[in-house]
Amino acid sequence: MTVDPTFDSIFDDLIDGDDSLYSFMEIIRPLMADCSIFLQSDSGNELLSEPSFVPPVDKDELIAEARRTDSLVSTVLTGGEFCYVMLIGKLNIVLLVVFSKDFAGEKGRTLFFRNTLSLALIKQEHAALVADKEQALKEINVFKQQHGKLIEDNYRQYNLNQEREKEYARKLESEIAKQTAELREANVRLEEISRLKSDFLANMSHELRTPMNAIIGFSELLAETKLDAEQADYTRTIVSSAGSLLSLINDILDLAKIEAGKMELENVICDLPEVVHNVTAMFKIPARDKNVEITCEIDDRIPRKIIGDGNRLRQVLINLAGNSMKFTEKGRIDIKLDYEMRVGRQIMVRFSVQDTGIGIPADRVEAIFDKFTQADGSTTRKFGGTGLGLAICQQLVGLMGGTLKVASEYGKGSTFYFVLPFEEASETMAAPAPEQAPEHVPAESGRILLVDDNAVNQRLASIIIAKLGYEVEVAGDGLEALELLKIHDFDLVLMDIQMPNMDGMTATRKVREIEADPQLRRQYQSLNSSQDPLPVLGLTAHVRKEDEEACYAAGMNGFLTKPIIKKKLAEILAEKLAGRQ
Amino acid sequence: MPTAKEIVGKFSELKTLPHVAIKVGKLANNENSTMSDFEEIIKLDPVLVTRLLRLVNSPYFGLVQKIESISKAVVFTGMKQLRNLVAIESLRGMFKGGVEGEFSPQKLWLHSATVAILAEMIAKRIFGQEAEDVFLAGIIHDIGLIVEFQIVGDQLREACLEFKNGKGTIIECEQRCIGTDHSEVGYLLAKGWNLPDEVLKGIKTHHYTEKKKAVSSMGSILQLAEFMAAKMNYWPVPGPIEPLPADLARHVKNMMANYKIIIRDVPQEMEKAKELYAADE
Repeated sequence: MTVDPTFDSIFDDLIDGDDSLYSFMEIIRPLMADCSIFLQSDSGNELLSEPSFVPPVDKDELIAEARRTDSLVSTVLTGGEFCYVMLIGKLNIVLLVVFSKDFAGEKGRTLFFRNTLSLALIKQEHAALVADKEQALKEINVFKQQHGKLIEDNYRQYNLNQEREKEYARKLESEIAKQTAELREANVRLEEISRLKSDFLANMSHELRTPMNAIIGFSELLAETKLDAEQADYTRTIVSSAGSLLSLINDILDLAKIEAGKMELENVICDLPEVVHNVTAMFKIPARDKNVEITCEIDDRIPRKIIGDGNRLRQVLINLAGNSMKFTEKGRIDIKLDYEMRVGRQIMVRFSVQDTGIGIPADRVEAIFDKFTQADGSTTRKFGGTGLGLAICQQLVGLMGGTLKVASEYGKGSTFYFVLPFEEASETMAAPAPEQAPEHVPAESGRILLVDDNAVNQRLASIIIAKLGYEVEVAGDGLEALELLKIHDFDLVLMDIQMPNMDGMTATRKVREIEADPQLRRQYQSLNSSQDPLPVLGLTAHVRKEDEEACYAAGMNGFLTKPIIKKKLAEILAEKLAGRQ
Repeated sequence: MPTAKEIVGKFSELKTLPHVAIKVGKLANNENSTMSDFEEIIKLDPVLVTRLLRLVNSPYFGLVQKIESISKAVVFTGMKQLRNLVAIESLRGMFKGGVEGEFSPQKLWLHSATVAILAEMIAKRIFGQEAEDVFLAGIIHDIGLIVEFQIVGDQLREACLEFKNGKGTIIECEQRCIGTDHSEVGYLLAKGWNLPDEVLKGIKTHHYTEKKKAVSSMGSILQLAEFMAAKMNYWPVPGPIEPLPADLARHVKNMMANYKIIIRDVPQEMEKAKELYAADE
């Protein structure tokens, strides 16, 4: 649909013909002030410049002629006046003008008429143009207004957005602060829980080791008595089972310690070949029994002395070799240490334990490092074990800076390997004090006070001590011990840590206090008999480093872990009593 | 006969203005809204985004720069323009369908667009007013007819027939056959759309015959624009064209030269705005 409306067709109702006549008359009248004017629209409406003017009688004929010819029609009226008639096509109006008889000459008259008409038409057009311009100006003004508003509004929005962003940032900040606080709180809670867990483990370890102490101790004592073959066999079984149980307990405690982040590695000088040879030697006998060959090979380029935790490394290798031993029925187990490279002061050593055992199915390789998991359920039934070993090894290797990996072919064997960085121990570094107590300890004489609240432990320890040739007296707690120190002369105290009434730490501190006070000291026979401090050895089921430190802090001269191992007890007693008497 | 309220109620059950149009209407009236708010809401309807951007880049706005996002559209055209475009896109679908009896929704759409454009021209050029609101009012001034067409179609067709046969104004015929008329129905419907009061008033009064509103009011401008549109054959219901109220006729008479110019310029303005009212492809 195209739009082609004309003004007249739209507003024809409003146009009453006269309008254009009036407006044109208004324009032309002042221009032809000396003349009389008559206008006629095409609908026949007529208009006179002044009411008194009487148009010529034959005006209708003149007008008709002007319309027909569309040119200027002129005539002289009866009074001698000149009459000009012309159609203004653009307005569809006929213009009739009467000039007075003395109005210029013909030429001037005609010229005046034509020029004035042109001027009038231009004036009319001008009026339209003025309206057009006014509209354009109005429109421009609206645009300007809108533009101004738009700019203002954009500025307002910009400010608002900025404000919102700031608000958002503030919210974000406070949200972060809130979450950080929450996390911190949660962290504190977790630490608390972790501490409780680790305390629980320490206690557990105490609770477990106390009866273990008794079982191992008494079964060893039992083995030393006269037994018939069957009894000896049973006793051996008890000893070895108790040993397995103890190592299992140690495994669980180790794992718990690692997971609680409480496992601390030592950084001391250690003899790498010695560690490896020891492990190999350990497995020589079981290997021979199973008809499996076990070898070890160490690259020459690896220095003998390195800095590290030899005990933990040994633990890993024992575990891996033990594992291989368990799953290898025939063939060989090779422990190898390869020199990988040197990075600065670090030497990278690749450890591997290779066997010709049953191997691990590919889909189970990932799982074997999980706790309590073995390659498949049937393994547990056939080979036993808890599946803790590899998990511990993996954690320990991780702590030492490596990753435990396995390459395995089902039915052909497995290779467990890891690479660890070590620093070579320099010559100037002091080696740790060698633990070279004499193999055979000459039986010393001496009076020993054993302080322990557990009756079974009291008995076991008393028997062992007595068997070593010492005299022994027993106290049930710290208070009792102090009383006995008053009235008897003891050369050494074996002090349990956890006891009712007064614990071992407190009792030891008390002893040291008394020794520092000459007057008090005199009241205690045991303390008064020698100028030296009375040796106090702690007896503890705890193996945590902090417990060890706590013993020394309380004034103890050393400590023994429970269960008491006869040989170790003999060594330490001999050492501590050597200077006395 | 159902009341205007009942008719609008029934219609609202059938067809509702899209959620986005209502929200945009609210935003355009809110001093605390920004271009990001428009962007957020409109971008949920990707088809609408595409359509709006096409309109914003059409000759109607004559922008030099190509607008590629809704927020930029707000920056360059303003919130009210964007609101109008969303309204156009949302309403376009309601004006579908061919002639049924004496009534054609499609013709009504073209009529509405013409009235909107004419009303905008009159507001700007004659009265020097900003024209976004009057444009919107032009688009929706006859929405009442659509409501009646949907809900009381038979009665509307009867009214149109009576109107065609010269039995009174369209309003009179509607009142007789339906019991209400499209200016009342349209007003009630649009009331729920978060439009400025002036727009609602314009819809309500665009057929008032007596001198109840100022010549420069939205209702008068709409009435004048509708009269001119009808004369240009943009009239959905054939029948005698209602004469202008006396005061409006006098106003036009006094401003003849000006209206002449507007009529001269209508075709080119319609051409520029073509994409706004063009039927769906």
